[in-house]
Amino acid sequence: MECLMGLVGKDFVITVTDTMAIRSITVLKHDEDKTRELNPHTLISYCGEAGDTTNFAEYVQKNVKLYGIRNNIELTPGATANFVRRELADSLRTRSAYQVNLLVSGYDHKKGPCLYWIDHLSALAQVPFAAHGYCAYYCISLMDRHYHPDISLDEAMGLIRQCLEELHRRFIINMPRFVAKVVDKDGIRVIDL
Amino acid sequence: MSRRYDSRTTIFSPEGRLYQVEYAMEAISHAGTVIGVLSDEGIVLAAERRVTSKLLEVGLSSEKLYVINDHMIAGVAGITSDANTLIENARVQAQQYYLSYGEEIPAEQLVQRLCDLKQGYTQYGGLRPFGVSFLYAGYDDHFGFQLYHSDPSGNYAGWKATCIGANYSSAQSTLKQDYKEDGMTMKDAIALVMKVLAKIMDTNSLSSENLEMATLTLDADKVVHRVYEPKEIDTLLKEHDVIKSSDDMME
Amino acid sequence: MLSEIVAQYTSEPTGYGAELTPGNFLARDAAKQFDSLSFDLPNAENPIDFLNTYTDVKSDNDNLIKLAHGTTTLAFKYAGGVVVAVDSRATQGSVIASQSVKKVIEINPYLLGTMAGGAADCFFWERELGRRCRLYELRNKERISVAAASKLLANMVYSYKGMGLSMGTMVSGWDKTGPNLFYVDNDGTRLKGNLFSVGSGATFAYGVLDTGYDHEMNKADAIDLGKRSIYHATHRDAYSGGYVRIYHINKEGWEFISLTDVDELHWQYADESRNRGA
Repeated sequence: MECLMGLVGKDFVITVTDTMAIRSITVLKHDEDKTRELNPHTLISYCGEAGDTTNFAEYVQKNVKLYGIRNNIELTPGATANFVRRELADSLRTRSAYQVNLLVSGYDHKKGPCLYWIDHLSALAQVPFAAHGYCAYYCISLMDRHYHPDISLDEAMGLIRQCLEELHRRFIINMPRFVAKVVDKDGIRVIDL
Repeated sequence: MSRRYDSRTTIFSPEGRLYQVEYAMEAISHAGTVIGVLSDEGIVLAAERRVTSKLLEVGLSSEKLYVINDHMIAGVAGITSDANTLIENARVQAQQYYLSYGEEIPAEQLVQRLCDLKQGYTQYGGLRPFGVSFLYAGYDDHFGFQLYHSDPSGNYAGWKATCIGANYSSAQSTLKQDYKEDGMTMKDAIALVMKVLAKIMDTNSLSSENLEMATLTLDADKVVHRVYEPKEIDTLLKEHDVIKSSDDMME
Repeated sequence: MLSEIVAQYTSEPTGYGAELTPGNFLARDAAKQFDSLSFDLPNAENPIDFLNTYTDVKSDNDNLIKLAHGTTTLAFKYAGGVVVAVDSRATQGSVIASQSVKKVIEINPYLLGTMAGGAADCFFWERELGRRCRLYELRNKERISVAAASKLLANMVYSYKGMGLSMGTMVSGWDKTGPNLFYVDNDGTRLKGNLFSVGSGATFAYGVLDTGYDHEMNKADAIDLGKRSIYHATHRDAYSGGYVRIYHINKEGWEFISLTDVDELHWQYADESRNRGA
């Protein structure tokens, strides 16, 4: 039922997440942030099994932070994505596997903006745009249709808005609020949709 | 007095010294020289190989310069067998990092990991410190080309140009005098290495037989390391007038 | 004799039992001792399946263990602090096991926990939380924050995830940052929020609570809103009932407000609406 989206632009990555915390048929919270900042230029957004999500995200967050403290350099988004995948893959072979889907978005000072898609079976792919959850069924085709690699921030936000409108129009679940975050050379910031 | 304190690595002398570690460092200052020079375009490493007997097969494999991974090479001075285990360890660590993160290990981190191991042998009982110093020539996306030196105590530091092994102090003073802070090219770096070699080594016997050379450079954003062939080394030595060319000898 | 048998079939859970002799006293690390607490697990492939074989809420088979379930609990923050309201019914299947359960646990003078789900699980883990909060206080010479306390609880139950724990709880209290409210459940979910309701009657309580809620209301209105919400839930949810128990939290800590029979409330509210109609 949850919704994560991400899109790589010309010199930025934008991620959009829904903000509902659900248990059974009840929405427990309408303003839950389903993202964690790993370091100044890397952000993960996550969805999946309750409990596992925040636990895994915070585990990764703390490890990436530790890396920064130990080595005086920050882990690159690519290295972070690989690390996350590996942790997930290791847990997959245990009885208590983390059931978490993630998007890793980041800005690499050498390679520019990047987005990684990771699912609960620890498949990893670097992609120009991605979505997790039911919203993928509605939004991926829209992104296929309108995406181009040097898309500007305004254009990208327009595309995201189109995606959200389509969700409101066709998707049975009511998702009133989304949070959008941008990662670029200046770091991570929240933007109004 | 000091005899009482130098039989164990893990015990400080009353003056606060660790004799075994100091002896190890002393051993290195008698070993074959290794020179490293950092330039804007890359790094040069040159190492003196001691040939103990003319019956010895030389030139089959590099015994002073080692490739650690695609982004790093290292020169060793000291006990070669000790160096072998450390190099092996470094290679494994580098690949382990690659496995975890899908990227080459940043140069300083690999040096640090090796130094953590070396340090351990100056602290735990019943062990002898590694009798090796290294010069590491590395590249990473964070800081570009880097030249590091590490010693048996587990200390390490980054250098623009440095030298370990026999005659290191006179080599270092030449490096200090002639190192150009800005705009150093690979050609300049090689010339500097040659100049130092001419100064500290016996030029009569100097040849590819007892010298190894390697460079680390970038080619179209890809890191390239090149270990010089004996022929290339001889040519370089002649080019820079370190040894007299055979024509000269004729005269 | 009995103690021998018991000893034979139980291993010492860390932190408890085992006499302290001068010998083993020195070997104990107090910090570690009180940090981890581990249970023997049934020697079965899947602890949940194992539990399900021996527990059944619906069946008439008397040999099965019936866990106490079914509850309405709620808590919300408002301008004056936090209101915590719960019912008092415990059911085991279709049987009302008790009408006088205390579903609020007083962790310390500034912290409250509510119970929904398995009564034993809630009670045990919130008592354990209380112990850890006290230790935190002794070690750090200051009270634990609500955020930290709820995180302790979430981490504890998360480590037993998938082993059959059942609890939905709200940890609320007052700390340096002011009033705080967290929802924690056996999935390991932990949410910070202004208003939560948990249990089988939660949907009924939410309806009344959401519509009547105003952050700026006064203390009396807030308490009444909590009371009414629980009452309406007990009216429609067969698994909730008994008494409405209300607590209020402000910067002085928590304060017990009232314990009222829902029957009494029913007639009181009925009178009020009749009077309004007249």
